[in-house]
Amino acid sequence: MTHLQFPVLGAKWAIGTIALFHTAVASLAIGFAFFVTIAEILGYLNKDRRFDQIAKRVQLIHVCVYNIGTINAIGLVFLLSSLFPQFWSQIFVQFYWAIIVEEFLFFLLATTLTFHYFFWDRLWGHKKLHIFLGAMLTPLFFLQFYIINGLGGFMLTPGAGVAQKSLLTGVLGWDKLGFYNPSFLMLTLHRTLANFSYGGFFVAGICGAMVYLTTRPKQVEYYERGGRLAFYVGFSSFLSLPIIGYFYAHVLKYHAQQAYVNLMWGRGDVVAGGVDWWWLKHVCVALMLGVCLMYFKKTGREEKPFALPGIMVYTVTIFYLMFYVAMGMVMTWAFFWYMLAAGVVGAALCYHLLGYHQGSGRGVYLLIGVLSFLTVMLGGYVREASRPRFVDRISAYNDVFIPDERQQYLMVDVNPDEIPKLPPKPKPTGGAVLIREKCSGCHTLERVKNYGFEHWDVIVRQMMAYGLKLSHQQADEIVAYLESGKPY
Amino acid sequence: MDLPIIETPIAPRWMWMEEVTYSHIPIATLITAFLVIAPIFEYIGFRKKDPRYDRLAKSMVFFVMILYSPGAALGTGIPIFIIGMWPEFWSRWANLFYWPLFYQFLFFLLDVIFLFFGYYLTWDRMMDRKRLHIFFGVMSAIFGLLIQAVWDSLGSYMTTPGAPFPMVNDPVGWSAQAFFNPSFPYLFFHRFFGNISYTMLLLGGVFALKYWRQKQEEEKVYFGWAADLTFSIGFMCFFAMPFIGWSFAKLLQQQSPIVFHSIMGGHASSFFLLKMGFIAIMILLGAVYLFKRRQRKALLYAATVGLASMYLTFHFHPALDWLPGGPLVWRAAYTVAIGGFLVYLWFSRAGEMPLRPRWQWVMFSVGIAAFFAFALGGFVRERSRQPYNVYLTLVKPEALPVETDRALTYQKCLGCHLASPNEFERHKGANWAQIVQREREMGRAQITDQEAKRIVNYLEENF
Repeated sequence: MTHLQFPVLGAKWAIGTIALFHTAVASLAIGFAFFVTIAEILGYLNKDRRFDQIAKRVQLIHVCVYNIGTINAIGLVFLLSSLFPQFWSQIFVQFYWAIIVEEFLFFLLATTLTFHYFFWDRLWGHKKLHIFLGAMLTPLFFLQFYIINGLGGFMLTPGAGVAQKSLLTGVLGWDKLGFYNPSFLMLTLHRTLANFSYGGFFVAGICGAMVYLTTRPKQVEYYERGGRLAFYVGFSSFLSLPIIGYFYAHVLKYHAQQAYVNLMWGRGDVVAGGVDWWWLKHVCVALMLGVCLMYFKKTGREEKPFALPGIMVYTVTIFYLMFYVAMGMVMTWAFFWYMLAAGVVGAALCYHLLGYHQGSGRGVYLLIGVLSFLTVMLGGYVREASRPRFVDRISAYNDVFIPDERQQYLMVDVNPDEIPKLPPKPKPTGGAVLIREKCSGCHTLERVKNYGFEHWDVIVRQMMAYGLKLSHQQADEIVAYLESGKPY
Repeated sequence: MDLPIIETPIAPRWMWMEEVTYSHIPIATLITAFLVIAPIFEYIGFRKKDPRYDRLAKSMVFFVMILYSPGAALGTGIPIFIIGMWPEFWSRWANLFYWPLFYQFLFFLLDVIFLFFGYYLTWDRMMDRKRLHIFFGVMSAIFGLLIQAVWDSLGSYMTTPGAPFPMVNDPVGWSAQAFFNPSFPYLFFHRFFGNISYTMLLLGGVFALKYWRQKQEEEKVYFGWAADLTFSIGFMCFFAMPFIGWSFAKLLQQQSPIVFHSIMGGHASSFFLLKMGFIAIMILLGAVYLFKRRQRKALLYAATVGLASMYLTFHFHPALDWLPGGPLVWRAAYTVAIGGFLVYLWFSRAGEMPLRPRWQWVMFSVGIAAFFAFALGGFVRERSRQPYNVYLTLVKPEALPVETDRALTYQKCLGCHLASPNEFERHKGANWAQIVQREREMGRAQITDQEAKRIVNYLEENF
């Protein structure tokens, strides 16, 4: 069967490009909403007009960015329905009502955001009401994300949803089990906190750029202050990401093993153009961490209008260290050392920038803004790219799969009894698969490679004694494979 | 139908669809029209060095900014609703118009960039570089119109498909015949002038009310001027509509006769008549206002020419058969109405003082009537196509037998007679089976037995 294509980029990359850009913009919008609320509340409580001004300015950028994000979403809908009609129609049949609610929230958000910005001055006498309106944006965004994450999570970990037979068993518009799939919670938590962090850091980046562009001392002080506040907001949300990320990875390990393997061992589309983009993302994160720590170390004792408690800063460091060590268990120690090196480079860069600008954070803010943008883009990309080319329950994402097997049923009248049953997919077997599945549960495959060819029988029995669940037949299969010296 | 149909709660699916569509279209059309007019006003202000034009243009763009996000969000809802409720239609449509839809997305993106970053945010900063600023406004207007062109093409295709409607596994991506289908230019220009007309009339009405409420003399003068200007533009733009509308109807008569008959006496005619009623209110009140205001004589002559041209349009209008007694009665009626109205206008001009409080409400009423006329126009267009999603190609999945039978009856019976569906009314209670059989025997209508049964059934149940 033939289908539409996108020139040069191809269908998958065309979708990926627009989707990533949309995600980056939409994530920014959530972060902006959160930041604006905090800044406006601070301005109101401290009776400091400057906080209010920075909040208003950021909200104006938010309005502009929001519309660009909206248009990107429209482009995404058009491309998906043209390039992947079967996937797109099927996902609608399954989650239609969720998407309609999301659309309603979209409208509510657009209206509230517009009202909040364009009536800023007119509602000056009703500041609490105005702050309330602004504060409503964050939960509304959150709800919208909640729905998109249900769909996004489903594509990676379909879980116990009835998607496979949705067209034939009457799932019309709402599939609860598919929506609340195994990775839904972790994806939601991870993206929510990451968005707050990204939004904060990005605003800091804008403030940093404005300090470079402004010559008037009053304006410089204004943007310095705004940048610091945004930096703190971004960093506070940064706190939770390693913990959530760790558990998210564990969910993938059990419910989307192939995606997990792709991420951790740099396989599939996670590696594109010879670059492991998951690694690169963590290099960015480590750089950000190094920058943040040095920034707090250098500025923590200065007389500032506000500061984060030192304990918070050091807690983040420990969490990230735990994350890298924990991930290192299943990845490689080389990965850990690269990250550590990146952290040191980030700290050194921050030290230099602060010194070069005589204590002004402009360079640091700009740097963290750029790094956070890259991290969000890369994070979204690797999550999508890690998905195997065919998720069992839905023929998604790769046009190679579009459809001989289902498309014919999409456009004809279907009687479930008359449809020839597809032969069940054979489960992958063999020594290599068993080794990847069973051994990598506790340690990296690098460690397997450290052993010689002798005594595999003893080692495998030892692992079974430690708690590895293997049948005798599987154990023999693994031993035979390892002893043969074939790659795994 | 092919994919499972998702049923909607409370109201039928088409009603939900129309709710979403009609909440988006007034916003989108207003934005498009304002973006066309604002740079023109700005340019006039720049050339005349009259700051009132600049203020007027800026306030229009400010209003556009307020409406843009909600309008875009509602616009997203339209494909979302269609994809879920008419998946086969959407999949095939998106296949045929893949590239236009993609370019529409790029136009949209460029529209936002020019509007937000080039036009609105830089208004005060670019006071010294007015030409460049106006250029940004013009670019935004052009991209807005291109977006409208794409959607008009897609919409008109549904009524007059210029190329076959491909299956989803028969990738097309783009078809010039489909895009530039027969009714596309008519729909585009009809909507272009319609947008400007109704938005300017509405704006004039709103400004008139603002004039009324102002306390400061300076503000009063400004709003009085703005109300006059926008109202006059809206009223004069309207006179393009009968010409385009007439050509549009003529084309439909040839290309999509079922649609044509549905409007001219068929199931959509009551809404069409209502629309005409709103237009009549608009013309009556608007023309009286213009003449009473004793504006420049050129404007009064232009309005007279507009009304006279409407007379000509009526004269050559395709079979309008609403009035009893035949075409002569109808022609006599509108000749007396329009002629008498013109005489009244010229004799009664300079009668009252301008802008007394009730006039503001008159202007506002004209704006509201124009809005409803516009909204009903879209409603009639969509309704007249039923039961088809794509004319004679794809029947909507929820079509009732009475709808498909009605379309068949129009198609088979009205084509030869060039008559309105009111013709059926005149033979109410007749022996339809006998009439249909006679037509078949005389070889006038190529009708199968099955079709004849459906036609007779429809006629007997309804007439």
